[in-house]
Amino acid sequence: MTIRLDPNIEDPDRFYAEIVRRNEGLSPDESLDFALRLVFLLANQIGRNDVLLSCIEQAAQERRAGDRP
Amino acid sequence: MTPSSGPGAPGPRAQPDAGTTGYALPTYPAVIPEAVRTGAAERHRVVIVGAGLTGLTLAADLSLRGIEAVVLDDDDTVGVRGASSRGMVYSQKTLEIMDRLGVFGRIDAKGVQWSVGRTLSGHDVVYTFDRARDSRSKQPPFCNIQQYYVEWYLVERVVELGRAQLRWRNEVVGVEAGADGVRLEVATPEGRYAIVADRVVDAGGANSFVRTALGLDSHPARSEDRWCICDVRFSRPMTAERWTWVDAPFNGGRAVWQHVMADEVWRLDYQLDPDSDPADAASLEVATARVREHLGPGIDFELVWVGPWQYRTQLLDEFVLGRVLFAGDAAHVMSPFGARGGNSGVQDAENLGWKLALVLGGQAPEVLLRSYSTERRAAAAENIRITTQSARFLAPRSEFERRLRTAAIDLARRHPFARTMVNTGRLTVPNEYPGSPVIAQGGGACLPNLPVGEGRHLMDAVAGNGLLGLYVPRGPDDRSHHRIAEAAAGVPASVVPLVPAGTPVPAGGLADASGEILRLVPAGPGDFIAVRPDLYCAGVVRDASPQAAADLLRFALAIGETP
Repeated sequence: MTIRLDPNIEDPDRFYAEIVRRNEGLSPDESLDFALRLVFLLANQIGRNDVLLSCIEQAAQERRAGDRP
Repeated sequence: MTPSSGPGAPGPRAQPDAGTTGYALPTYPAVIPEAVRTGAAERHRVVIVGAGLTGLTLAADLSLRGIEAVVLDDDDTVGVRGASSRGMVYSQKTLEIMDRLGVFGRIDAKGVQWSVGRTLSGHDVVYTFDRARDSRSKQPPFCNIQQYYVEWYLVERVVELGRAQLRWRNEVVGVEAGADGVRLEVATPEGRYAIVADRVVDAGGANSFVRTALGLDSHPARSEDRWCICDVRFSRPMTAERWTWVDAPFNGGRAVWQHVMADEVWRLDYQLDPDSDPADAASLEVATARVREHLGPGIDFELVWVGPWQYRTQLLDEFVLGRVLFAGDAAHVMSPFGARGGNSGVQDAENLGWKLALVLGGQAPEVLLRSYSTERRAAAAENIRITTQSARFLAPRSEFERRLRTAAIDLARRHPFARTMVNTGRLTVPNEYPGSPVIAQGGGACLPNLPVGEGRHLMDAVAGNGLLGLYVPRGPDDRSHHRIAEAAAGVPASVVPLVPAGTPVPAGGLADASGEILRLVPAGPGDFIAVRPDLYCAGVVRDASPQAAADLLRFALAIGETP
């Protein structure tokens, strides 16, 4: 399925800044744990299996795209 | 838990071990057929290789359907010598089958019914299920009992039914699949003989000789994860629930299983440190210390059986190869998380029994047997996928996977949404059969053994080899089931009316006493439902004309299909 890749976050700067703020002073491991908890919480807001699987797929593809020189 | 201790398991140990009290298994005398002396090959219609859970279930099933079979087993006992502590959780579907075969009463009397499972992390319960909540079957959600008891009861039942010959210490040492029969070379303690069989069902287990001799690839994959079973008898009362720890403080932060079986013996199963030497980890000294830490001081316990194990997966590409059919562990092997091993072998046997009986009786074409492969291979593939996910949750393979799991468990301590991700095994339910060539529109649901009035249940109503056609009348004067039966003349099926609970039941009809049949299928007035002997719904015809209903019955038995 096609997932949204157009802007949809209400306040992107605030969202980004809030993640940064909450990770201040955390070790890389603690930040990883934070990110994983966030993934699960966001996933439960979405719920739909096809959307979740497509997001995972998209994230994997982004990495491959980023690997290209 | 049905640990499958195949060749993946480090060195089978003689039992009882010195220091464990062991299980007392019955032994049966070797059977030496006349053919050993005469040298003449025997001829049989059905030979079952392997008198384990799957082979014995099939032998009992075929016996009840009037089909004679010869069962060959290389051993002289039930269970597996040196690994007698095997499966223990029997699901509702298995128990329903055992009821039809006439051994549920004994299993229930000996075993322990349960329905509640809890998953713990540290000292906290992070996930709970109760299968009793929506259970309407005559049989309980689960019964725990040592596998050898089930096999033992089946052996006695097969002997009582008197149609199958159980030949102990008859080992298949050669197999040649020909166009007009399968030739088996069989070794007994007093010499060899040959059997030519119309059909061979290989239920010879994970290390099947027949499968290997025919050169079939079962795509084996072995796990690194190692466990140690400690079957223990002790005095402290504990609730009959399935408790699983993802990370038990008393097992070095690794997983532990705790489950009661018959004879007040508890199956305690400990995930081992991947760096430990399994032989050492299964030593009595280490096992005793581990159980002591689990149960706490001051509890007297007795080690009944101790053994290390590890799991693997295997799956044949096809479960039917000409005249040879594969069932149980010979066809598929998976990790035990979810109790899908032994239970799926029993369901293989049940899927095959009625089809084989109809084909051998000339009432359905050969091609019906192909649906056995389609349906049960799909079930095995699904079971492997589900148990592999549980195994991976229990044994993370990287630091990332470990942290991902920790994040899910931490959330689960406080929030219901995350509890559903904590996966210590998704317990077996009847598989659906997508892609089955004999399941039509509206079919696919596996019906529990539901009440149909006057103390009878669905399993009583389908007794016999044929289909059960259920017509839901539009009113008291609707006698369409007679016309459906006429249109389906010659098809092995009985057609009866099924009325909702509280409605007067016509002669020979059934009542949907719990309301569950019409809800699960689903169906309503004017509809026709085809139910198979394994209680799978083969399809539904809405506003059924007699011809359309009869066509469904033929479709479900592949009548009219050419191989």
